[in-house]
Amino acid sequence: MEAVIGSRCLVIGAGALGNEVVKNLVLSGAKSITIVDMDEVAISNLNRCIFFRTEDAQAGRSKAEVIAHRAKELNEVAKLEATIGRIQDLPSKRFRENDVVFGCLDNVAARLHSNSHSYYHRVPYIDGATMGTSGKVQVVIPPSTPCLQCAMNRTHYKLMEKRFSCTGADVTFFEPKMAAEITTTSVIAAVQVREGLKVLSGKSDECIRNIWYYNGLANRSDVLEVDLDPECAVHTK
Amino acid sequence: MSVRVRVRNAETGSTVDMELEEENTVQEIIEGAAGYWEKDAGAYVIRKGKKLLRGQQTVLGASITHSDDLELIPDPEGG
Ligand SMILES: [Zn+2]
Repeated sequence: MEAVIGSRCLVIGAGALGNEVVKNLVLSGAKSITIVDMDEVAISNLNRCIFFRTEDAQAGRSKAEVIAHRAKELNEVAKLEATIGRIQDLPSKRFRENDVVFGCLDNVAARLHSNSHSYYHRVPYIDGATMGTSGKVQVVIPPSTPCLQCAMNRTHYKLMEKRFSCTGADVTFFEPKMAAEITTTSVIAAVQVREGLKVLSGKSDECIRNIWYYNGLANRSDVLEVDLDPECAVHTK
Repeated sequence: MSVRVRVRNAETGSTVDMELEEENTVQEIIEGAAGYWEKDAGAYVIRKGKKLLRGQQTVLGASITHSDDLELIPDPEGG
């Protein structure tokens, strides 16, 4: 518990997963959390984000700032810092300052960026992703485990190119083809934070190896192994 | 030498048999199966048992053999 209280966590993305992950972290005792997101709260976010209110959308408040402000109500002594901007614009050294990084993103490009910078600075990266009633959590513990890029294939890169060509310059305006049900988001965020707590309490050996897939409709969940890609640019010398 | 495998669609449970050559890659299997089922544009992965296969691996390299059961899984992207 002391390791959790003294830890520093970076949460990238302040959407549905970011809301749940921060809530779980604060309630688990984490006291130093940085939240990064460039977007403002929209009315369409309200049905799946515990910290957002109608007034936030009406006032055009920053998602990261709203989460930092409201999560503090759960623990007054917690230090929550909001950084408004794209993760790609955050100085790389900011990754190094943390004990664990949580990916709560909605696009491949930002995930690859967060994955590679966490890996470079040897900071464990726990990525969550959702779609409808399905989701997954991947745990990356550098330098021993495969990274996100090791598990990606051409369909991921095609999707990334499509997002880029759709939006011109910025990938963050993309709406996923199927928004996640809040139950999916809750399950995935809970597992992300559970894995993070293992990392912080020195139990990385007990973490998911390597990806946990969840299908809430078919009552299935599976842990799948991924081989480390010897040619992956993230960790080849 | 070619091998015949069965690919299961994780979303519907339906299956398709595919004839593969040793040099075919996992991403060719993914694109072939996704095309067969006319899947939406999106990211997909293939699993064999408890292993998620890497896209660049060949049938030979991924130790895919005759009568193997594979599964095509949509890879979530949202947050
Ligand atoms: Zn890698």
